[in-house]
Amino acid sequence: MAIIRVPRPPRDANVFAAAWGYLVTICSGLKLTLTIFFRQLLKLEKTETVEWPEQPATYGERFKGKHFLTLRDDGQVRCTACFLCATACPAQCIHIEAGQHPSNEIEKFPVRFEIDILRCVFCGYCEEACPVDAIRLGPEYAIVDTSEKKWVYTKDYLADRPALQGGIHSIKPENEKHTSIGHEPTAKERKSQAHHGHV
Amino acid sequence: MADTVTFTLNDKNVTVPKGWTVMQAAKQAQVDIPHFCWHPGLSVAGVCRFCMVHVQGARKLEIACNLQATEGMIVRTDTPEVKEAHKWGLEFHLINHPLDCPVCDQAGECGLQDFYMQVGKYKSQMTRPKVLKPKAVDLGPRLILDTERCILCSRCVRFEEEVTKTGALGIFDRGDRAIIGTYGEEKIEHNYQENLVDVCPVGAFTSKKFRFKQRVWFLQEKSSICPGCSTGCKIKVHARTDRRTYYRVKPEIDETVNGFWMCDKGRDTIAHLNREHRLPQSQMRIDGKKQTVPTAQALESLRRAIETAGAEETALLVSAHYTVEEYEAFFHYFCDQLGVTKVYQWRAETEDRDSFDGILLRGDENPNTAGLRAAMRRVKGRTVPIKNEIATCVSKKPKVVVALCPEVPFTSPWFQEDLKQLAGISHVSLWTCRYEATEVAGITSWIPMKGFAEKTGHFLNYEGAKRELQEAFPSATAEALSVVEAVQQMAAIATITTETATL
Repeated sequence: MAIIRVPRPPRDANVFAAAWGYLVTICSGLKLTLTIFFRQLLKLEKTETVEWPEQPATYGERFKGKHFLTLRDDGQVRCTACFLCATACPAQCIHIEAGQHPSNEIEKFPVRFEIDILRCVFCGYCEEACPVDAIRLGPEYAIVDTSEKKWVYTKDYLADRPALQGGIHSIKPENEKHTSIGHEPTAKERKSQAHHGHV
Repeated sequence: MADTVTFTLNDKNVTVPKGWTVMQAAKQAQVDIPHFCWHPGLSVAGVCRFCMVHVQGARKLEIACNLQATEGMIVRTDTPEVKEAHKWGLEFHLINHPLDCPVCDQAGECGLQDFYMQVGKYKSQMTRPKVLKPKAVDLGPRLILDTERCILCSRCVRFEEEVTKTGALGIFDRGDRAIIGTYGEEKIEHNYQENLVDVCPVGAFTSKKFRFKQRVWFLQEKSSICPGCSTGCKIKVHARTDRRTYYRVKPEIDETVNGFWMCDKGRDTIAHLNREHRLPQSQMRIDGKKQTVPTAQALESLRRAIETAGAEETALLVSAHYTVEEYEAFFHYFCDQLGVTKVYQWRAETEDRDSFDGILLRGDENPNTAGLRAAMRRVKGRTVPIKNEIATCVSKKPKVVVALCPEVPFTSPWFQEDLKQLAGISHVSLWTCRYEATEVAGITSWIPMKGFAEKTGHFLNYEGAKRELQEAFPSATAEALSVVEAVQQMAAIATITTETATL
């Protein structure tokens, strides 16, 4: 192991002179703090502090908070129950049960889709793994509850809860699987991708 | 003339029997040649044009599956032309493939996916829209066909023609509209349907039973022997050990017995292994009420009952669903050590034992009839006729009966009905894995047994060949025992009790 030798200050140095630099810095810092404090007290400047939870505070759309499932145009979940999120999940908190959809167009859909939110580490791998933009992590961060049952988010809750205001639709085309792999996107698709983003 | 040929494959000398193709030789030499339509158990079709190899002196690339190996031939599988041929071959196979891997059950064990990762072109030059074809066509009680995913390798058509000889499938229409299908509204209804799922290199054929149940990459597989009949096909059981659930059975290549195939009946042999059908813990009827007890207690009470009644008043009722090793331990303890002489077979009353469907399935639905007969011959000292002896057992009026129950429910539907005959015997101990056994009246104790996929050992099949259950899953119910373990536990309890008595 390497040892760095730092020279000690000479014993006969003037303590007051050595501390002078510190004092100056502390005072200038305090000056700034107190100036802002009084300016905000006298309402000369807008304060950035929010009195949460009385006042709402929001995060950006890219925040990795509570999950939600996006919907098809007809209101059903987009998820095709491919299990890629469950495979990617390092916490193994996603439980899916797949079933046959009445429509052959959709074919496979999740009968059950549950996230054990207490096990979730909010890494966002599920979002990255999803091939159909069906699961995303939203800006909701306050995850508070008392009942044990409510910690397992069901499919209905993930697709439609008050905060989602009637469900989120994806801009990605639904029948994307019928476009060929790796081809150059058309002008229309480029436009749609440019608009594609979070809620 | 020599009956072998030697040729060079990727700078390596390979010697194979005369008449072998380069593909077979490559398999033997463990050189990977990507292929779709070639299957070791079927004839050569040469339609996928994917197994291209470079042969020195040939004007263009050759397909390895239809190229007979000749003396001194120089074959390469890794030249730039071969790689280019693979890329373009795959590009053409994928022109109309829907790429619906997320909803496809084959994903994870799909030829298209594997070779795409291995030799794919990655950037498609196809800009035209894909041809849409019928999806999720119901083609039989166990089959779903997705004609869009099909790459027209014709393996299924050849299977129908060559193995089951039913010829129900064909390729209809031409060009990019060509699809696989049956004639008219016909359905495939023979007992070998799911082999079509196995031979299909893509997800065109999927199994109705396994459909959407689980993604294949979550499954672990272990080699075992099918307990459905006396043929003893070598199988792979697929299960999720973290959920202790069994999902499916696939045949394992075994050229001596089952080749590449197995029947659909055999694929149902794992349903009873899942927890909801299993006897979870030992039970005893105490004062007329069924109670869950420690296995040691149930075994101890059985031992006491035998001790009180005497070995001559004890009968063993044995079905042919257990391994040779288990019979050995069972008879060694009960007959050699305790002195029980009454040993009876327990099997179907009426069975067409010698029937055979011409492919794999036999009328004798017990996997180890030969093993049980050999074990009983040792105990009884004479040849044992194969018949159901439960009535004989009851007529001898034993006071204690130990029954090794048949394991697979669909080959023994008479199980509960037969057990009713045992009512009136003072101590009946059932060694079984089936939960339904607890619904029978007149039984004293139930000991949970392991299923066939949860133990190692071997069966003797119809011709006396040794069929080895190679690997074992952890049991779906924690307290299940194999017969060997149960007998050991019983013997251990006996030793402890006699030691305490002498103290």
